[in-house]
Amino acid sequence: MTEYFGTTVADIFATMPKRFKPEEAKEVDIAIGYEATGEGGGKWKATIKHGTLKVETVDGDLTGCKTTIHTDAETFVGVTLGKIGALDALSSQKLRVAGDPKFLMLLLPKIFTPYAAPEKKPVAVTARDIITTIAERFRPEKAEGVAMTIGYDLTGEGGGRWTIVIRDGKCAVRGGLADPLTVKMTMEAKTYTGMMVGTIEAVTAFTSGMVKIEGDMAAAGATAKFFRKYVVPGATEAEELISLRVTNAIEQRFATGPVMGRWFAGLREKKFLANRCPKCGRTQIPPREICAWCRVRVHEFVEVGPKGVVTHFDIVYFASPDPLTGAVRDTPYATAYVVFDGSTEREAVTMDLKKEDIPRLKEGARVRPVWAEVTTGSYRDLIGVALDEQEESL
Amino acid sequence: MTMQEDHKDCFVLEGKMALPNQYFAGRLGSRFLIAIRDRKKIMGLKCNQCGKTFVPPREYCEKCWTKIADNWVELGTEGELVNFTVVRYGDRHLPKKPPYILGQIRLDGADTPLVHIVEGIDPREVESGIRVKAVFAAKTTNTIMDIDHFEPV
Amino acid sequence: MKMHAKNRNVAIIGIGQTSFSSHKEDQNQVEMVQEAVINALADAGLKIGDIDCIVHGNMELFEMQFAPDLWHSLGTGAYGKDEYRITTGGTTGATLVCAADNLVASGLYGTVLAIGMEKLQEGNTTGGITNMADPLWFRNLQTGALTGTTAQEMIDEFGEERAKRAAMRYRIMMDKHAMLNPRAHRRFGLEYSQMEDLMANSPPLVGELRLIHMCSQSDGACAMIFTSEEKVKQGTKNPPVWIRDHIQVHREETIPNLFGFNKPEMTHHCAARTLFARNGIQDPVAYFDVFEMYDPSAWWAVDWLREFFLLTGDEHLRMLEAGDFDLDGTIPINPSGGVIASNPIGATAMLRPAEAALQIRGDAGGHQIKKEVRHALASGFGGTFWTVLMILEKELNWQEVNHD
Repeated sequence: MTEYFGTTVADIFATMPKRFKPEEAKEVDIAIGYEATGEGGGKWKATIKHGTLKVETVDGDLTGCKTTIHTDAETFVGVTLGKIGALDALSSQKLRVAGDPKFLMLLLPKIFTPYAAPEKKPVAVTARDIITTIAERFRPEKAEGVAMTIGYDLTGEGGGRWTIVIRDGKCAVRGGLADPLTVKMTMEAKTYTGMMVGTIEAVTAFTSGMVKIEGDMAAAGATAKFFRKYVVPGATEAEELISLRVTNAIEQRFATGPVMGRWFAGLREKKFLANRCPKCGRTQIPPREICAWCRVRVHEFVEVGPKGVVTHFDIVYFASPDPLTGAVRDTPYATAYVVFDGSTEREAVTMDLKKEDIPRLKEGARVRPVWAEVTTGSYRDLIGVALDEQEESL
Repeated sequence: MTMQEDHKDCFVLEGKMALPNQYFAGRLGSRFLIAIRDRKKIMGLKCNQCGKTFVPPREYCEKCWTKIADNWVELGTEGELVNFTVVRYGDRHLPKKPPYILGQIRLDGADTPLVHIVEGIDPREVESGIRVKAVFAAKTTNTIMDIDHFEPV
Repeated sequence: MKMHAKNRNVAIIGIGQTSFSSHKEDQNQVEMVQEAVINALADAGLKIGDIDCIVHGNMELFEMQFAPDLWHSLGTGAYGKDEYRITTGGTTGATLVCAADNLVASGLYGTVLAIGMEKLQEGNTTGGITNMADPLWFRNLQTGALTGTTAQEMIDEFGEERAKRAAMRYRIMMDKHAMLNPRAHRRFGLEYSQMEDLMANSPPLVGELRLIHMCSQSDGACAMIFTSEEKVKQGTKNPPVWIRDHIQVHREETIPNLFGFNKPEMTHHCAARTLFARNGIQDPVAYFDVFEMYDPSAWWAVDWLREFFLLTGDEHLRMLEAGDFDLDGTIPINPSGGVIASNPIGATAMLRPAEAALQIRGDAGGHQIKKEVRHALASGFGGTFWTVLMILEKELNWQEVNHD
């Protein structure tokens, strides 16, 4: 039976006898015809006479009815439930009444208790139910090239330990926690259930410490997209909401101009060319046409470095995708703020630090540039910096 | 002081800006698209104050700001071509190869025209005022292209 | 003509917000904007026909949508009216307020509607932020708004334990405020007893900046209505909130030169010292009754309290530790829960003066400060460390000082 607003036209008529209030209908003598067109619709006749009610379906024409209500099935259910205003429906002609509508609108609420859609009993769902069936919801097209083992340690009632293995476009669930794991997530079973059913927002759970993550954090964040959403069995189909996903790629061409161009020309020769403000004397790196503080043009180029000092640094555990390539970097990686020898003291520039040097990185460390094998005059000429440890040992 | 005229180091870097985007039609937009997709019906929303029926749907009447979100009206799938243009250039983001007709169609029951592609008539012969009907797409995409095009009745 | 002197005073007479969440799949952008506008009009007791001009803003291209104000005109009411689009990165919401203020103060428009919005679920936030960097040089190095350098500076200056506790205390305080604000996006119900656990276990993003410290990414919109002194005299539905003064301080794009051997003056400090001096405010901590500060992360928030209030040494930490910034403290910070709790970027910086105005009106609801709020401070932040700072007043009784 076609459903509208969570119920059917037929159910409204089926419940009419139950909702009838005979004591209010003692003086009533009327036959009301109903025609609901469209899927799930039909024709019914309600005969009310001296406190009794007869409801019957009608196959042919609705005859012998003092008043007939004509509408489509959806509007009928909507008006009955109050989701659609009766007056609106009448004004828009979606609901037409042959006979006196006002009389009906006064009578019907008097002799019937209002109809309420039947409540769907919520199905009790456990974490075990959800996780042991997760392979059914696997989306191999989203997991191309992915190989990971994700451990779940779900504590409390309905919990347990499972490992999800994704490899070669397949997904399998095993009991227990495998070793090694790409990432392990520990949380209460009810937190897991809440996240999967949608009553707990995943980001909230992660951020507020309800979920403990050991291992690759990025993998933990990525798991959601490998699986279709869990739907509680027997749940009312939520209203379908349409969305479109698109990646818009716009080609761009960036002109360097003479100043930035000179900087890149310097890189090609493995040199750092800053430019010096004639007023405040600071060495802008990378060089810029104008000193923003003094608002004067800058013409004088000076070579700085090649070595420098790390004034601050960031160890990055969470990588954002590179908007130019979409690639996500390996973490952890370090970004060092370097003041090159010969620069004025504030003018730091950011540099990637060689991964192996990260454990020994300290503020004040000396670094040297690491150049690409072949330099062509682009930002890729400079791979980053590395600790200049020979100097430190002097 | 003049700009340095030294351009020997200038060059152009080819780049790209690629960002993912998700568009939500919303409750009303979804109903509109689903009616086209599943029931081959085109729905509008009517403002009873102004007596104006809008398509595509919007939550409020633009003139009097009455909320019209529940006042769905089924429109005809035919209407009058009230205006048109002929697209004569090609670009990869366009839905058709040129030349093709982009028309404004006032469907029966609507007060606002709907923009869509018109086919089945030579661009040199199309005129405003002709009656056209919707041809629904065989393969749907959850977009307005679930109506494939309009063609003369 | 004196700089910064207005032709006439401007008041906020309507404030409308949507709820803030990461899931608004049942609304498209137009509908979301219209919800805020309708709320603002209802709050002001006005109709869309009473609005002379619209100023609209969000983060450009954050939803991969160019010129969204055109699409939103169905919802903004801009049809047939003057409209300006303003997009200045994270400061957008606050710049919109500055612009609306200027437009009414100039005498060119009577009543102006400002709208800030973001539907981040439809775009890619960090991708958008990193796109702002110089494409030739910085873009591939950018981590967006994520950096742990301030945390490290604070640890170097105050010691690891004290600095980390300060940042976490601030974070939990923001959550407690958010729990009182039903519109806030993230409301975790954190307790101070969780401090040690969160300090150790919240996943680190960059250095000591952990997931728990960072602001959210939200969908939502905020709309505000501004009008002139003359119109206010004719009667308003709610008490007016006056915009006394505002300032914007920008700096150059290159962020790394904030992290050399020493720092230049921060824009927050420059804005505060200039704004307070020209308004004759000697002691901002004593003068203001509330500060809605744009706080992208708990670490920055604690650091910037020192900048904004022109404090030195560890004064700000001592105030935080003594509870001076709590809802019932001497100078409450972010009773709304701040940016950390709700961050619909294009609207976020507008929510700061909006929430400050609600405090002045006594209308904030669950997160209302109990003491009378007469003088409010609100800030916006964005781009490459830009600051917008504004002063709101309950009464039209301040003295003009110097306007050079």
